[in-house]
Amino acid sequence: MSSAPPNRIFRRILRSASFRLGLIYAALFVVSACVLFATVFVTATAAMQSDMQAVLRTEAFQLAEIHRRLGLIGLAEQITRRMNFRTRGPIYYLLQAPNREVVVGNLPGMPPVEGVIDFRRPPDSDETDANRSRLLGFGLVLPDGSFLLVAQDASRLIDMQSAIVRAFVWAGGLTLILAVGGGLLLGRNFLRRIDTIGRTTRAIMEGDLSARIPARGTNDEIDQLVASLNAMLDRIQNLMEGLRQVTGDIAHDLRTPLGRLRQRLEEAREHATTTGEYAAATEAAIGEADTLLETFSALLRIAQIEAGAQKSAFSEVDLSGLLRSVGEAYLPAAEDVRHTLELEVDDGIGITGDRQLLAQMVSNLIENALNHTPAGSTVRLSLVRKTATHFEIEVADNGPGIPEAERGRVFDRFYRLDRSRTTAGSGLGLALVKAIATLHGLTIQLGDAGPGLRVTISS
Amino acid sequence: MKILLIEDDKQTADYIAKGLRQHGHVVDQVDNGRDGLYMATGDPYDVMVVDRNLPRMDGLSMVKAARQAGARSPALFLTTMGGVDDRVAGLEAGADDYLVKPFAFAELLARISALGRRPPLVAQTKLQVGGLEVDLLSRAVTRDGKRIELLAQEFRILEYLMRHAGEIVTRTMLLEKVWDFHFDPKTNIVETHISRLRSKIDKGFDKPLLHTVRGAGYVIRAAE
Repeated sequence: MSSAPPNRIFRRILRSASFRLGLIYAALFVVSACVLFATVFVTATAAMQSDMQAVLRTEAFQLAEIHRRLGLIGLAEQITRRMNFRTRGPIYYLLQAPNREVVVGNLPGMPPVEGVIDFRRPPDSDETDANRSRLLGFGLVLPDGSFLLVAQDASRLIDMQSAIVRAFVWAGGLTLILAVGGGLLLGRNFLRRIDTIGRTTRAIMEGDLSARIPARGTNDEIDQLVASLNAMLDRIQNLMEGLRQVTGDIAHDLRTPLGRLRQRLEEAREHATTTGEYAAATEAAIGEADTLLETFSALLRIAQIEAGAQKSAFSEVDLSGLLRSVGEAYLPAAEDVRHTLELEVDDGIGITGDRQLLAQMVSNLIENALNHTPAGSTVRLSLVRKTATHFEIEVADNGPGIPEAERGRVFDRFYRLDRSRTTAGSGLGLALVKAIATLHGLTIQLGDAGPGLRVTISS
Repeated sequence: MKILLIEDDKQTADYIAKGLRQHGHVVDQVDNGRDGLYMATGDPYDVMVVDRNLPRMDGLSMVKAARQAGARSPALFLTTMGGVDDRVAGLEAGADDYLVKPFAFAELLARISALGRRPPLVAQTKLQVGGLEVDLLSRAVTRDGKRIELLAQEFRILEYLMRHAGEIVTRTMLLEKVWDFHFDPKTNIVETHISRLRSKIDKGFDKPLLHTVRGAGYVIRAAE
């Protein structure tokens, strides 16, 4: 992004989701501020107006009382006094005789009006502000027909109103600037992180499968998205590597049995003369083909399991019952090869999984132990409850074991220990065990049974 | 038996049809799902053998449609997809058995025979072959009146063989029915159990009842 021209960045920010969100919030704020402003303006004005009216009315009635007691002359004296000693702000008076002649006052004569009046006085020469001439008055016609008007400058009201308007204009403008600026900043930040994701994606498309998106460590939504994306990439990389490995494995390890098959058929064509010899050659060829097919289906199965496709068939499996029945199935076979197979299974242990795959996992482990230990060995299959939710499946023998250096590799497809090269087997058994265990979220470990091999699968 | 074979690969279809005819079955051959559905919903067959990947209508939909149309003939799926979910999907669609390609012909034949056999009308409580008797309620086994003690797994094998007396039962069928193993263990666990069962029911009697059919499986039948 640092390489892009600034105006393009600006345009992208304007289009970015967070900036638009910022704008929407700003607009919402402006609308609510306007509503607030109108409410404040109207209530404040009304409150102030009624306050002023109350003052004027009190003054007018006080003067009317004076007029009742002292008559027109007394009132005129009182008004003159009050005009000279203004105690509360500029107050204007007008006392008009019934013949409309002004008796006293600092306002020009006017036709008598009772009650609240909003009017203008002729402006003074030094005043430039037209608003200053606005007055709020209270008129009263006295019993003898003369007219009394008490008025007050409305400038206080106007001042307050313009103060409210000013405050709102400033606050609103500032908010708008903050919202837009914040939106731009947030958008830029957001875009920068999106760009990082885009850059990493492009790097991966160009072939660097190991590229990962850096997280910021804030654990916010984007970080979580980045973590999910990285996990997805890990998974894809694993699958790709698995696929690459399978392809390589097939190329290398299936050549041998295919070659053997071809050799047998060729030999039959060259040397077989009787139907018996042909039958024997065909039988052997079928045997080789079956082995090949088995290897293929085992590879396919491992690939399928590693892809996690079987999870849809998961259900509750009684692991204790399953282990017992698999173990018991092998008892006579173990006896025939002069092995002792011991079973020790805790009751009532269950797992969510695929019954067939779990059964195959356990049988592969038992077969592995039976095939790679000499006659007279003991194989122990156990299922032990460790805690309420954890259990351990263990298959241990007292055979030669596996050297520690090779333990990590026996789970690889087609990996076989040197001494096992001559025994039957595809070299896929433990790879399948590992794949099934991983699919079920179980961990598998190889250990020393002192002497012998101990395979532990734990939840 | 009258068998409907729905398989689009001509070589496989001819190979299966030829083998079945050699064993005395009548075979109708169809090479796509649409025609298969038409045939399946007509005159009833004893068994339908259906490939899962078929042109014009796949085997799964075909069997489902046939079942909805009221076709009751037992169906056996042939498939190259051997995953557990695939098998479950097939059985849920209304198939009765499932065989993964490539298969041995003897396996197919044994399964077709097992499917085509009409189930007994009354639930049996006693199975009998020659002098061998199995009481399913008391789980007692006797031969010529002499009591034979069997382990649980041996009893289950014997029960399955006796229910299919006279028919060949393959190793895979036993793995599936007795142990519910739908995979192929490398160890000969079936053979070892059979040999123990055989020593218990045949040893000491002059005529053996449990026979091994080479390259196919096992059969229990009374001596002629």
